[in-house]
Amino acid sequence: MSAYFLRRLLLIIPTFIGITVLVFTLTRLVPGGPIERMLAEAQLGGQKASAHQQFGSQALSEDQLQQLKEYYGFDKPILQSYFEWLSKVVQLDLGESTRYGEPVWDTITQRLPISIYYGVITMVLTYLICIPLGILKAIKNRTPIDNLTSLIVFIGHAVPGYVIGIACIAFFAAHLEWFPLGGFVSDGFEDLSLTEKALDLLNHSVLPLLAYMAGSFAVMTFMMKNALLENMAADYVRTASAKGMTFRQAIYHHALRNSLIPIATHFGQNISIILTGSFLIEKIFNIDGIGLLGFEALMERDYPVVMGILVISSLLFLLGNILSDLCVAWVDPRIRFGEQR
Amino acid sequence: MIINPETRKRWQRFKSLRRGYFSLLLMGAMIFASLFAELWINNRALLVVHQGHIYLPTYGDFLPGTTFGENYDWETNYRALAEKIKIEKNGDFILMPLIPYNPFENDFIEGEYPPYAPSAHNKHYLGTDTSGRDILARLVYGFRIAILFSLFLLAISYTAGISIGALMGYFGGKFDLITQRIIEILSNIPGLYVIMIIASIVTPSFWSLALLLAAFSWMGLTWYMRTETYREVNREYVTAAHSLGASHLRIITHHILPNTIAILITFFPFSVAAGITALTSLDYLGFGLPAPTPSWGELLQQGTDNLEYQWITASAVTALSLVLILVNFIGEAVREAFDPKTHTFYE
Repeated sequence: MSAYFLRRLLLIIPTFIGITVLVFTLTRLVPGGPIERMLAEAQLGGQKASAHQQFGSQALSEDQLQQLKEYYGFDKPILQSYFEWLSKVVQLDLGESTRYGEPVWDTITQRLPISIYYGVITMVLTYLICIPLGILKAIKNRTPIDNLTSLIVFIGHAVPGYVIGIACIAFFAAHLEWFPLGGFVSDGFEDLSLTEKALDLLNHSVLPLLAYMAGSFAVMTFMMKNALLENMAADYVRTASAKGMTFRQAIYHHALRNSLIPIATHFGQNISIILTGSFLIEKIFNIDGIGLLGFEALMERDYPVVMGILVISSLLFLLGNILSDLCVAWVDPRIRFGEQR
Repeated sequence: MIINPETRKRWQRFKSLRRGYFSLLLMGAMIFASLFAELWINNRALLVVHQGHIYLPTYGDFLPGTTFGENYDWETNYRALAEKIKIEKNGDFILMPLIPYNPFENDFIEGEYPPYAPSAHNKHYLGTDTSGRDILARLVYGFRIAILFSLFLLAISYTAGISIGALMGYFGGKFDLITQRIIEILSNIPGLYVIMIIASIVTPSFWSLALLLAAFSWMGLTWYMRTETYREVNREYVTAAHSLGASHLRIITHHILPNTIAILITFFPFSVAAGITALTSLDYLGFGLPAPTPSWGELLQQGTDNLEYQWITASAVTALSLVLILVNFIGEAVREAFDPKTHTFYE
C-alpha cells in the first residue's frame, strides 16, 4: 500500500515534466510573445502604463532587442532554456512577470488569499449542507421533500456553476440591485469600520459563493443520498434491525458510516479548487484571484505568470488526487490500492 | 446494433419513463429543426416569383439584385424586396422565412444604435446583440454548431477510448502497463488551462478544437472498456472463437465489443452535455471557435459585459439551461432503463 502511494508520488515528476515541456515549447513558438508585445507597447508611446516605459517612443536598437531576448531567455534553444527554467522552478524562482515587472511568485501569492477565501468557504458550506441534505433525502426517499429538493439539486447539476453565476449577477445584481456587480470588496474598503468591512465582504461574497457551490453541491448531495440508500438496503442494516435496533439507530450507527466513504473520494479535489479557483467564476465576478490572474496573463501573453500558474495548479492537482486516494484508504480499510486483480 | 430482446426491454423501460422520453423527443425535434435552420431563420427568401419566374434562393449561390430588377449586383436584400412587392402589388410574390435575418448579418435601424430590445415589429423576437445581429438566429445556429461539435468530439473520444481500452484489456501485459501510465499522466493535466494556452497561440478551427478537447477527454471510457474486456477475454466463447481460428481483430470486433459496448450508451447523454459545456466555456473566455461563429458562449460573454441589456443574458442562459436540463433528463432515464434501482429496506 505505501509502495503504491510512493509510486504515485514519484509519478508526479514525469507528469509534471510532461506538462511543462509541452506548454513551455508552445509558449516559445508563439507569434506575439512578450518581446513583440513590449515593442508594440513602446511604439504606442506609453498608452499603457508599464514598467518598460523607459524605452520611450523611439524604436529599439538591435542591441537593446538582443538584451531583451537574453533577459527573457528567448535567444537560447528551447531545451536549454527549459532546463534553465526548470532548475529555477526547483528553487521556487518562477521568474519575473513581463507585465508587472515583479517576481511571479509575489504576483501569485498576492492573489492567493482571495482564492483561498472562496475555496475554503465553499468547501465548508458544501459539506455542511450536502451531507445533512443527502441524509434527509435518503430517509424521505420519494416524498414531496425529496422531489422538491431533487429538482433544485438537479438544475444545479445540469447547469454549470458559471452559468448560474451569470444568471445570478444579471438578475440579483444588475436587475434587482441587491448585490454589487462583482469585485472582491468595495473601493473605499480601507476606510470602513470593522462591521462595515465584514458586511461589505459578505455582500460581495454571496453570489460568487452560490456559483461556486452550484457545481459540487449536486454531485455531493446525490452521492450522499445514493450511498445511504444503498446501505439502507444492505443486509447488515437488516440484521441490525432484526436484532432489535430502531430504524434511527440502524441508520446513524451503521448505514451512515459506510455512506461517508464516497464523500471522502472527493475531498482531495477541493485542494486545487481552493487554491486556483475558477477562471470562469472569477472572471464573471471580477474577483482578483488566481483564476483571473491566469486568464489575464494569457490575454496579455505574460508567459512567466502563465507558466507559474500552470506549475502551481498542476502540482496541486496531482497532490489533490493522491490526497483523495489517501482519504479513501483511510476511511475504508477494505480498499487496497495497488494490488493485482 | 443488434436488436435483441434485452435491448427491446430496455427501450420499453426508457419509453415508460415519461420525463426522459419526452425530453428525447423534444431534443430530437430541436436538432432536426436546427439542421434546417436555413429554411426558417434566414435573410434569403424561401420563394420568389418574379415576372413569371420562380426562384428558390435558400440554398445555392447568391442571386444578385439585378435578377429582380434592382439596381445593384451584390446579393439581393430580400427584406427590402418583400417591402417593395407588398407596396407595388404587380403580381410578384415573395415568401420570407419566419425570422428574416441570418446570424452573421448586422441589422441597423435608422436613428438607433444596437443592441435593439426584443420586438415583434422588427421581427427581432429576442432582440439583437451589441453589433445588431439577431439573437434568436444566433441561438439556433449556435445550437446547431454546439450539438454537431459535441457529437464530433464524442465520435473521436469514444472511438479512441473504446479501441484503446479494448486493446489494453485484450492484450494486457506491457502494452497495458505503458498505456496506463500515459493515461495517468494525461488525466492529471489541468486540461482547461492547457487548452486555453494552446488556443491563445493558434486560433483553433471547429475540427482542431474538437481534436484538442478529445485529446484531454478520451481517457474516461478507457478504464471502463479495459476492465470489461479483461473480464470477457477469459470467457469460454472467446476461447472457442480463438480455437476456431478467429483473428484478434475479429474476436475483439465480433465477439467482445457487442458484449461490452451496450452499456456505453448510458454515458452518452452526459458526454453530449459535457461537450456543449466545454465549448460554451471556451467561447465565453474567448478561446473557443473564432468570431463571428454563432456561439452561446460568446452571447453569454456579451451579456456579462453589458449587464444593462438583460435580454442578451436572459436568452443565452435560458437556452443553455434548457438544453442541458433536457440532455440530463434523457441521461437519467437511460441510466434508469439500463439499471432499474429498487431500494427496499426494513422499517
